[in-house]
Amino acid sequence: MVNIKKIHKNLIISDLLASIISSRDTIDILEKIIKKVDNKSIDLDFSNVKFVSRSAAYALLSMREKLQVKKDIYFINTNKNVANMLRVVAANRIVPQKKKPEFNPKKTSIKSLFKKVLA
Amino acid sequence: MEKIIIPKPRNDSLVAQFESLYKTFASIQSKKSVNFDLSLLDWVCPLLILPVSAYINNTSSNHDIENSPIKSYLEKINFPDGIDSISLFQQRVQKHKSYIPISTLKKDAGASRERLEALFSEKIYSILGSVPGAQSAVTYPIAELVGNIFEHSKKDVGFVFGQFYPIKNYLDICIVDCGRGFTTAYKEEKRLKLSDIDAISEVMRGNSVKTEKERGYGIWTSRRIISDVLKGGGFVLISGSAGLIVRDGKEELVSLPDFYWQGVIIAYRIPKPLGPLDISQFLE
Repeated sequence: MVNIKKIHKNLIISDLLASIISSRDTIDILEKIIKKVDNKSIDLDFSNVKFVSRSAAYALLSMREKLQVKKDIYFINTNKNVANMLRVVAANRIVPQKKKPEFNPKKTSIKSLFKKVLA
Repeated sequence: MEKIIIPKPRNDSLVAQFESLYKTFASIQSKKSVNFDLSLLDWVCPLLILPVSAYINNTSSNHDIENSPIKSYLEKINFPDGIDSISLFQQRVQKHKSYIPISTLKKDAGASRERLEALFSEKIYSILGSVPGAQSAVTYPIAELVGNIFEHSKKDVGFVFGQFYPIKNYLDICIVDCGRGFTTAYKEEKRLKLSDIDAISEVMRGNSVKTEKERGYGIWTSRRIISDVLKGGGFVLISGSAGLIVRDGKEELVSLPDFYWQGVIIAYRIPKPLGPLDISQFLE
């Protein structure tokens, strides 16, 4: 008889990392934790995680992809913000956006910029 | 040690703060230790005080606030050292409810640093109110811009500070690092030789210093969310001897003669949101 509890591990992200995940390097911390877990199936539990940055979402999805041969990683209890970010980044990983941001600034001198201080 | 008197900003606009910042550092040789005199200041905003804090921390410079009319305020925000611990941050916020201390984010602190940054973001969010969508709109720029510091600066410390002005009903945020700056990052990562002005332009066009896909949009998207979703009252980005100023949706690039910031300074102003906010169009 298979012991379900033993093959499945739940990792609470807000306890291990923070309630807002912004930096890619925190995903490296998570990856190290996951690698130490014996279980094949892992739930990353996003209860109490309020936001994941675009960069961190990218790192999270990359890490999941990298480890998928050895681990089955699931994202659970994501709030609307977190779920949206993961979906958008996942979609862009498959079909990257080609449109580059437009940036057409006016070049100005420091003198004329500071003239505007009192304007 | 040379004494540098920080000039009083001519008004409360971000450009006026930028002017004082420029005049403060224009006379300082890069990485030189100096003694900052704050006696002329009777009011400051994050764009002026956070770079001064970061510089003091980075160069072991001194400061004199004994005769400053804002001595008490500077002590409340933990100028210039800042706070790098979660418990101290919580104590400070509990004690001085209207003031958020300067946060010193240390790379090697790992998850603790992420928690401190999360506390900062949560505090900002709680001040700005809980209109629908505010959490994402407020948190996105902080998370992306601070994340940027740790990815590109190659420096182990970053600084973040925010101040809400209840009478004026707006919030100023500043994020600073004393790292390698955009020009050096492009040179080292992509072997691109760019001027400081061109490096800022590359950043704003979403050309990442890294080669991976889905990168490079953090600063551009943050700037759009600040301007278009949060109806921000200004955005300033400084790196090396160049700056970008965004006011009323208009972008201006400026060369900064006799000035060199080793690293990146980002500051922005956002009014307290009045209605629902939606950042979804900027995520696609």
